[in-house]
Amino acid sequence: MAAGIARAWDWFWANPWIKTATRPPVYLSLAFLTLGGFVAGVAFWGAFNTALEATNTEKFCTSCHEMESNVFEELKGTIHFTNRSGVRATCPDCHVPHQWTNKIARKMQASKEVWGHIFGSIDTREKFLALRRHLADREWARMKANDSLECRNCHSSESMDLTKQNPRAASAHERFLFTGEKTCIDCHKGIAHRLPDMSGVPGWQ
Amino acid sequence: MDLTRRTLLKTQAATAAAAAANVVLPASAQNIPTGEDIQLQWSKAPCRFCGTGCGVMVGVKDGRVVATHGDMKAEVNRGLNCVKGYFLSKIMYGSDRLTQPLMRMKNGQYAKDGEFQPVSWDQAFDEMARQWKRVLKEKGPEAVGMFGSGQWTIWEGYAASKLMRAGFRTNNLDPNARHCMASAAVTFIRTFGMDEPMGCYDDFENADAFVLWGSNMAEMHPILWTRVTDRRLSHPHVRIATLSTYEHRTTDLSDMALVFKPGTDLAILNYIANYLIQNNAVNREFMDKHVNIRMANTDIGYGLRPDHVLEQRAQHANDAQVSQPSNFEAYAKLMSEYTLERVSELSGVSKEKLEALAKLYADPKTKVMSLWTMGFNQHVRGVWANHMVYNLHLMTGKISEPGNSPFSLTGQPSACGTAREVGTFAHRLPADMQVNNPEHRKHAEEIWKLPHGLLPEKVGYHAVQQDRMLKDGKLNAYWIMCNNNLQTAPNTNNETYPGYRNPSNFVVVSDAYPTVTAMAADLILPAAMWVEKEGAYGNAERRTHFWHQLVNAPGDARSDLWQLMEFSKRFTTDEVWPKEILDANPEYKGMSLFDVLYANGEVNKFPVSELDPAYENRESKAFGFYVQKGLFEEYAAFGRGHGHDLAPFEAYHQVRGLRWPVVDGKETLWRYREGLDPYVEKGAGIQFYGNPDKKANLVAAPYEPPAEVPDSEYDLWLVTGRVLEHWHSGSMTLRVPELYKAFSGAVLFMHPDDAAKRNLRRGQEVRIVSRRGEIRSRVETRGRNKMPPGVVFVPFFDASQLINKVTLDATDPISKQTDFKKCAVKVVLAATADAGERP
Amino acid sequence: MRRLAFACLLSLVPCLTAGVILAQEAPRLRGPDPFTKEIPAPPMQRQVTNDVRVRRNYPDQPPVIPHAIEGYAVDLNANKCMSCHARKFTEQSQAPMISVTHYQDRDGNTLGGLAPRRYVCVSCHVPQTTASPLVENRFTDMDALTEPERQPARGR
Repeated sequence: MAAGIARAWDWFWANPWIKTATRPPVYLSLAFLTLGGFVAGVAFWGAFNTALEATNTEKFCTSCHEMESNVFEELKGTIHFTNRSGVRATCPDCHVPHQWTNKIARKMQASKEVWGHIFGSIDTREKFLALRRHLADREWARMKANDSLECRNCHSSESMDLTKQNPRAASAHERFLFTGEKTCIDCHKGIAHRLPDMSGVPGWQ
Repeated sequence: MDLTRRTLLKTQAATAAAAAANVVLPASAQNIPTGEDIQLQWSKAPCRFCGTGCGVMVGVKDGRVVATHGDMKAEVNRGLNCVKGYFLSKIMYGSDRLTQPLMRMKNGQYAKDGEFQPVSWDQAFDEMARQWKRVLKEKGPEAVGMFGSGQWTIWEGYAASKLMRAGFRTNNLDPNARHCMASAAVTFIRTFGMDEPMGCYDDFENADAFVLWGSNMAEMHPILWTRVTDRRLSHPHVRIATLSTYEHRTTDLSDMALVFKPGTDLAILNYIANYLIQNNAVNREFMDKHVNIRMANTDIGYGLRPDHVLEQRAQHANDAQVSQPSNFEAYAKLMSEYTLERVSELSGVSKEKLEALAKLYADPKTKVMSLWTMGFNQHVRGVWANHMVYNLHLMTGKISEPGNSPFSLTGQPSACGTAREVGTFAHRLPADMQVNNPEHRKHAEEIWKLPHGLLPEKVGYHAVQQDRMLKDGKLNAYWIMCNNNLQTAPNTNNETYPGYRNPSNFVVVSDAYPTVTAMAADLILPAAMWVEKEGAYGNAERRTHFWHQLVNAPGDARSDLWQLMEFSKRFTTDEVWPKEILDANPEYKGMSLFDVLYANGEVNKFPVSELDPAYENRESKAFGFYVQKGLFEEYAAFGRGHGHDLAPFEAYHQVRGLRWPVVDGKETLWRYREGLDPYVEKGAGIQFYGNPDKKANLVAAPYEPPAEVPDSEYDLWLVTGRVLEHWHSGSMTLRVPELYKAFSGAVLFMHPDDAAKRNLRRGQEVRIVSRRGEIRSRVETRGRNKMPPGVVFVPFFDASQLINKVTLDATDPISKQTDFKKCAVKVVLAATADAGERP
Repeated sequence: MRRLAFACLLSLVPCLTAGVILAQEAPRLRGPDPFTKEIPAPPMQRQVTNDVRVRRNYPDQPPVIPHAIEGYAVDLNANKCMSCHARKFTEQSQAPMISVTHYQDRDGNTLGGLAPRRYVCVSCHVPQTTASPLVENRFTDMDALTEPERQPARGR
């Protein structure tokens, strides 16, 4: 083990590209390097953000068949897919935070999903169903922790008009949502996808 | 406001009491109704709808049904009803009930192109008899026909069978049950030599696995589904596997949902057979002792008109029913073609799921109940599909014992009791006898006390054939009773409606409501329904269940039984029977058909004094004898001692039905097994005694494709069927406001991607177009049915969206049952299609 | 006597109106006239979501659902209806508790929770749309027979 690390160390430092990269500049001006560094930085940042945005689309999410044939297929039959005014929620609307730091944190978490895709941990419907409770628990916990932030991005409780809600919903919102006693996800589970086995989940038989 | 006597008395009593107590009552004080006021007369009846046969308690007050609820004492449902059953109270009270005969008239005379006008029963029957006699004289008995019903009471079907076969001497009598479970009935006879299941509903409480073959029980047999879910949720080891061409409420509660491409269920069944053979799961001892192996004729066509290219091309279209003796090796060889890989590819079901399903059948410790209805029966290879599931149960010996049960469900309340047991099919007589068997005809003639040689031997026109013959002008006097065939037959615009309006035909419809079919008739006869007459139904588990007449039918509406018997009075034997028969039996000369068929010394044996005085019985009072009892007892003579034993008439009015054979007062729950079935000889273990060698027939058949498959133009599969809230064509349930408002119109269930591909949105109006016709409907991409891409579903209950204008009149060539589950359509936006040319 | 007269009158009404009704255009129940005519599809109806309890026609009628249930799971994993109508949740939800009959098994034994045979709520309880009935239903409420003078005018 130790010998292996030593061998890798030697190889690293013996690499001519590394040698060049670590040597101080001889021919280039400081201005060029500063400016070049800035331009490169902008380019990198742009590329990073482009990549971030590209991976933040439904098209990207559903390019994996795990997403496409399970959760996305189920979404198609719900009000978050088609509704009166055609305002649609896409995958990242609910599952990727809009705020930058949270988004990056979520993206890092998502690398695990890529891992799952590569290693086929849910590559059949059966495997997906077997893991569904675990997957759902994670999303519920996340949304509970951020006070259902992604719901609130569109559904602000301050902007609700109770006369436009049916009496049952209006009363529930008045008693539990406006008082801060509950957050959206506490009641609205399984509204965009089918539910996992709900045994033991509070509020479910 | 007027005070009724009762209120007056009550007010007086209250005033007196108040006076005695020295208090002053406010002027408006009234008591809560008590005592006599809130008494209801409760009586039992079976439900009017599906083949489950739930028991219902019916509450009557002042001659009206005011309440119903599930009968706690009924074994079938123990107090539960589905939503339709709970609203039975209201089915008779739609304000457009037919209350008098209506005939198409012009200038006071019957005219085919006239308008409907009210007439008396005499006028109606006079014209009808005139037409019948004209047709009989011009063309003979083969031009007269009747389309009956699995909703007829047992005695109605029996009276109709006598009138048609013995009276008019034609076998052109077929029930709408032909569209419903002919494939099941035919296969029972082919396999076991006797119709109807060996098991019963008690299997639900004993099975470890339920395999539903194309059945959506949660919606179509909701109360039986309560027994399945009860078993599944109370016993965690129990598994439910559902095979279907789309997901629905039943798959929601299934452990395994196998969505397959339409028609490939045959391949899946054969794969399971292959799995059993490959994995030594075949019970060879059972097979050797109790099973014969046969090979079916293949390439048998699709029951279309004989000049259709598919029929011309088929090798065995004319001898589809024939099979040859074979052996296990040959069977195993045929099955070996159905490998996991090939069947998974063909059906679109994953290998894992197919294998898991096969294991349920293979595991000797798992008791399997296989259930099916229209998915199997409405199938161009419906008989084969039925055979194939029996093959699995016979190979594993999982049959005729609690929990191990291949079980055919039925769709109508008396599909078994009337259509099958009474034998109202074009080829059948009571108790599984056949019209083309001279011994059987002779036996029937003896019981019916009729001259020898009277009954016709030629098998009559089956349902689809009747429509074709009406259109072709070969069937000219036609009576439709207790069904709505113009809404429910296939390819109606081209094959059904033209026959009804063919000027050489006279079409009569007996119904309680003005249905699509009634409106296309020449004469409409108003019918009594359900508890407006004394009745008997037989459900899917061989249970015969009686009820009394509880209320009177409105106006001049009369039961089908009265109509049949009263009509028979208008014919004499001289008019309808051949001279040779009358010359040889002169004692029958000049008698009315009523006399020879119903006043024959048997049917009229029981006087009206035997009627239960608590109940009205209009038919018996009209004819002067206990009609229902006489017909039942004569009919029961066919089956007693032959494995179809029915209990004495009175017994059925006391109990919540009995499952035949009823031997020594005891019903039979499981047939063909010693100790459970009194007809099995001691020491035999198992006897399939319907067949002469007491063995069952395993009939091997391959997968063959459906009659029509989607192509580039007609690119979708169309599946039709029912919804929970409406029953069949909706003539009763659409008139119950709560049921109508629960499902207010047919829709086109479609996958969201299929909709998006066609630029369609939920709720948009579309045309559903096939090679035969088109209708307009609306897109539903949500809701209870989840369609896979490429398959759409439309229910048939809505008279304003007649999906059977679109369906194909292909049938199983053996059972002649229509395939309502598989044809090719395209779906286009309604507005766009307006611009183009219509097919 | 008055009730008898009323009943007679009632049974006469259909006779008097039969001809009139048949002349009406009612494709929803009787199909297009003539049969071959193409007719538009009726619009899909809106759900009743007013949460107002509807009077039952008789005591044993399962109450209809006065709210939408779209997307509510009733499957092996979950029963959404019970999240409000189960005994333990009714205080929070203020929804009617499932009937006591729903705690009884097939043999009439009372269980500690919803009987498995009653698990599929929608077999008996159905939501409603705002569609108006296609024809009047002349079912008579038992109270109307018992105390006709106390009933508001029948109608639907």
